[in-house]
Amino acid sequence: MSAILFDRIDEPGLNDIDTYERRGGYEALRKALAQPREGLLEELKASGLRGRGGAGFPLGMKASFIPGADIDKYLVCNADESEPGTFKDRELMQKNPHMLIEGMIIAAFTVDANRSFIYIRGEYVLQAEVLEQAIAQAKAAGFLGDNILGSGFSLDLVLHRGAGAYICGEETGLLDSLEGKRGNPRLKPPFPANQGLFQGPTLINNVETLATIPAIIRMGGSEYAKLGIENSAGTKLVSVSGNVQRPGNYEIELGMSSRDIIFDLAGGPDEGREVKFWFPGGSSSSVLTAADLDTTYDFDAMEKAGSMLGSGAIIVVDDSNSVVDVALTLASFYKHESCGKCTPCREGTTWTVKMLQRVQSGEATPMDLDIIASVQEQIIGNCLCVLGDAMAIPVGSLVAKFRPEFEAHIESARERNGLGITPPAASEEPVLSL
Amino acid sequence: MPRPEHKEITLTIDGRDVPAIDGQILVDAARGGDIEIPVFCYEPKIGGPVGACRMCLVEIEGISKLQTACSTPVKDGMVVHTQTDRVKGAQQSVVEFLLVNHPLDCPVCDKGGECPLQDISYGYGGGKSRFIEPKRHFVKPLGLSPLIAIDRERCILCYRCVRFSQEVSEDHQLVLLERGASTFVATFDGHPYVAPFSGNIIELCPVGALTSRAYRFRARPWDIEGSGSVCNLCPAQCNVTFTVRDDRVLRVLSRDHDGVDDGWLCDKGRFAYQATHSDERITAPLVRDGDQLRPATWERAIQVASGIARHSGAAAAIVGGETTNEEGLLLGRYLRDTLASHDIDSRQGGALSAGVLRELARTDLQATVPDLEFAHTVLLLDADPVDDAPILDLRIRKGARRNGAQVLVASGRPTALDARAAVAVRHAPGSAASLVLALDAALSGDQGSASSHATDAGSDLEAINALAEALKAGGEDVVIVWGERVTDGAGGEAAAKALVNISATLGLGTREGSGLLELPRGTNGRGLREVGAIPTAGPGLSNPVAVGRSTDEIAAAAAAGDVTALWFLHADPTRDGRNTETWTRAMASAGLVIAHASTLSPELAAHATVVFPAEAGAERDGTITHPDGRIQRLRKAIGSPVDVRPAAAIIARIAEVGSGVDLGPTAGPAGTAAVSAAVSFYAGLNVDEIGGRGLRWQDRDAATNLPAGDVNGESAAPVPAASPNGALRLGTYRSIWASPEVELSPALKFLSRRPTVELSPIDAERIGVTQGQNVDVGTGADVLRATAHLRSDVPAGSIFVESGLAAPGNLPSEGQLIEVNKA
Repeated sequence: MSAILFDRIDEPGLNDIDTYERRGGYEALRKALAQPREGLLEELKASGLRGRGGAGFPLGMKASFIPGADIDKYLVCNADESEPGTFKDRELMQKNPHMLIEGMIIAAFTVDANRSFIYIRGEYVLQAEVLEQAIAQAKAAGFLGDNILGSGFSLDLVLHRGAGAYICGEETGLLDSLEGKRGNPRLKPPFPANQGLFQGPTLINNVETLATIPAIIRMGGSEYAKLGIENSAGTKLVSVSGNVQRPGNYEIELGMSSRDIIFDLAGGPDEGREVKFWFPGGSSSSVLTAADLDTTYDFDAMEKAGSMLGSGAIIVVDDSNSVVDVALTLASFYKHESCGKCTPCREGTTWTVKMLQRVQSGEATPMDLDIIASVQEQIIGNCLCVLGDAMAIPVGSLVAKFRPEFEAHIESARERNGLGITPPAASEEPVLSL
Repeated sequence: MPRPEHKEITLTIDGRDVPAIDGQILVDAARGGDIEIPVFCYEPKIGGPVGACRMCLVEIEGISKLQTACSTPVKDGMVVHTQTDRVKGAQQSVVEFLLVNHPLDCPVCDKGGECPLQDISYGYGGGKSRFIEPKRHFVKPLGLSPLIAIDRERCILCYRCVRFSQEVSEDHQLVLLERGASTFVATFDGHPYVAPFSGNIIELCPVGALTSRAYRFRARPWDIEGSGSVCNLCPAQCNVTFTVRDDRVLRVLSRDHDGVDDGWLCDKGRFAYQATHSDERITAPLVRDGDQLRPATWERAIQVASGIARHSGAAAAIVGGETTNEEGLLLGRYLRDTLASHDIDSRQGGALSAGVLRELARTDLQATVPDLEFAHTVLLLDADPVDDAPILDLRIRKGARRNGAQVLVASGRPTALDARAAVAVRHAPGSAASLVLALDAALSGDQGSASSHATDAGSDLEAINALAEALKAGGEDVVIVWGERVTDGAGGEAAAKALVNISATLGLGTREGSGLLELPRGTNGRGLREVGAIPTAGPGLSNPVAVGRSTDEIAAAAAAGDVTALWFLHADPTRDGRNTETWTRAMASAGLVIAHASTLSPELAAHATVVFPAEAGAERDGTITHPDGRIQRLRKAIGSPVDVRPAAAIIARIAEVGSGVDLGPTAGPAGTAAVSAAVSFYAGLNVDEIGGRGLRWQDRDAATNLPAGDVNGESAAPVPAASPNGALRLGTYRSIWASPEVELSPALKFLSRRPTVELSPIDAERIGVTQGQNVDVGTGADVLRATAHLRSDVPAGSIFVESGLAAPGNLPSEGQLIEVNKA
């Protein structure tokens, strides 16, 4: 397979427009601008590309939901890459920013949006600087602004830096934040395609999705669809982290064996260690165990295995780690990031963390594990957005798959800490004052 | 935007067919079918659903996940389940989650017993909690404002209060800080939440997180009774429920009426009940003894007051806005029929002829309160609802926000709705009449006349043309909200005719949902005119036997000795800031001054002969008429102090003792029947028909009894606005907080007003004052010292002095030039 997104990604100066153009960059844009919009939409549909942000919604279908009416429409690039374990967009934006910009221009042209935004995670300072420079270059070269390449199509592109909230990676929370409001998710429907940014129809996609568009236009949608397998077309950037010898981003063709990704590409766990469990699609995916390593890495197979492809971030945990630590770390992250808007997520994440803390310190009983499992059940499917599920699904799967280890941990921690069967100590939780 | 059309559909909930309106929210549709779906955050009065609390999860066939009923519009044939195990499980989960951080301190919580969280926990919760961890803690309770206490531990973060602040009152003061379980409601800068409508969040709060500091710990729900009535503190006449314990009013709640108040109250209406039980209130008759007023027996007070019979032909009455229709009718009758005087007025700015008043009252020209919400355009003519009838400010904002209504403003003083206005035109203070004439001319295409009237109004032709264009282009449904002050002064009659003409040009009479809506100065301004408490018309706006003197003319006549007896029925003209000096002389020279009052101004204390204690709002019975013609009932919620008697009974007794006449029934259904017998277009109306919600007389058959109007009489031209030339044009305004009830209510005391003058930064710089410094308005003995309040949207050359204060000072009339100096 030849790389598409990571094609000669480490070439020095690729973030410069001259290098990018020398390699054939912005040719897809010229080709696209010469086509009718319907044709482009057909190409995107034919490519079979599914959104790379986590939900896996087909790009072409999403773009076709944008109404054709003559009103202000928007394109938004979700670059708030905040799912733990995910760092693919970071490398892509830093090393090849023009591919994203070119993809955005084509996408905007396809849905006839004249205003576009990149909402980038606040911590990505270097990447924001690289993008700012690339946007300026694209503007100077006439790829952005009024009447792009004489096509009559105009596009404005603004880079907006987030302020550090996981929830602003949720598309409607992102839109609220972009509008200058508190970053809280909105009720859906209406979906962004109908009423998104500033109430206008909005196409919102992940960096990787948009950056793939030039390749689709260049190759043709049906040609691109030949990559990967059925229902999981194309290549995917996979961020492998955790207990592996060569963590990093790898571009793979969907349908590859997960074992090959973890062991052949990333080197597997250290000598003498074994894979205990792994998150196939970011920290909010249900965990899989060593028994699932031969599952192919694609949307359908992951769903069938009871998990999801998500953002394509594989986190490997080997047998040197305690499952309790992982569960607590995970739950604490989501508790910290819960926006507080809806009840099950706000209260459920807090409660789960408090219970897991007791499990860790040995102050819990096996009955608490039942309550933890039941609280996760009560969260799943009852929240306003998917943040609550994002904690409840992996934590629930950990408790379900490693219950004996949780119980053993409680026993040993109780002995280690010299605790009898005593009620929990009064909390030292500080009183919040204003 | 015209009112939406409704399509009837049927859906199935829990196996039952429920009729509903297509697109209606499922929670409301279910309620219509007598099926309750529990909610916390859903409150359609505030705006669209937010889906935050998740309490309303239901199962809808064809959708795999549970759906929030608060955000689901119903469709024909939809099949919904609210009683399945899955739904019950979700409801129990949400209740359990909500109680995780809730202190469950119901026994000491003010909300206990009337708490939605309590009710829903009992009704839909699992009955036990598995949560044994420590709860979230906040310092509590804190004063969110002097009126509201906030207990953040009890808060379930339903967003209602924040949404109210952001989307209803649009004061944007409340926000949520922090996130997750640490989220809390606060003001952005930690300042107190002080706004005209802040108290509504207490009623919106579904838990005990926001409580009234005035009501805290005063009663439990089983100690109290609710008593429905109408707030009589301003013309908005919001429907209220008085919470009564041991014959004392402890609280005022909204009694949601879409046709009047949309379920909101202003803070004055909500907290000024405290004045009822103030120690400073007069609760026994007072009679003059030398230079003092001393408490007297009722017999003595009536004896003294009945001396008015000796002033036949020289008696005059000023009727205040709080007066009921029954009282106004009775006093008018006694004066006209027995005392041979026609000098009775309930307006302040001069009289309009009966013919013009009838024309303005035409049923086809009358807009209703809900029309404000659905009109294409709302034009404010020298009216600022937030001060004149506060709750209408919220209604106009609602129309603009939800239905895209165009708001236009033409006023002397900048209004609270300027920021919402597509066009805002300023005119010189007191020159609204000229502006209306100019607008009429501009709409009729008479540019020459428009130009000269615009100059007279101290405005410019371009601005008035812009206003006329916006009126024409904005859509057919236009509601013109005009302040009573438009018809003040010499040009008042001409302005009223121009208003009628503008209505004809815009075709307001031909469309439902269009029309005029006057904001009178007094609560019952409209009703008092209709029962004949004005010098130019008898009951039913009939042509009078003779035309009497208007308010200002009565003052002048009394000062000159032509009127020798004055009767102030719930009125104190020295507090209005108009002609204070003439009134003081008038009262000094009158032989008899009768007043009905709760408190004494210095002038009343110095000159009144007899003062009868007035009933407080919650003690009154009778009817009042809303500015849109809705006749509403005041119902006695509590007994009066032992020596306070109804004004109507006092009037009747004075007539009996002094003149030996029987004025007929004074109170109760018979009193109201007397009103409907006297006012032709109220004919046949009785208290049962009025009921708890009132009804508009225009909607009854008797409305056709309104005699035809007459706009062909001569009318004087308005006085052109003075040219500033270094001095400043004087304007006045009466703030919502400028009232004796506010001064007497401990909770509202912090809002009571001190003399303030609003001026533009340009004039301030010229005079050499900055924000908050003192200035002297006027010269010589009549100087008024006031605090300067700089407002950038006050036009240079004009100042606005606050009126309605306890010590109003002696100011010339509106529009005159006045000197302003740094104190």
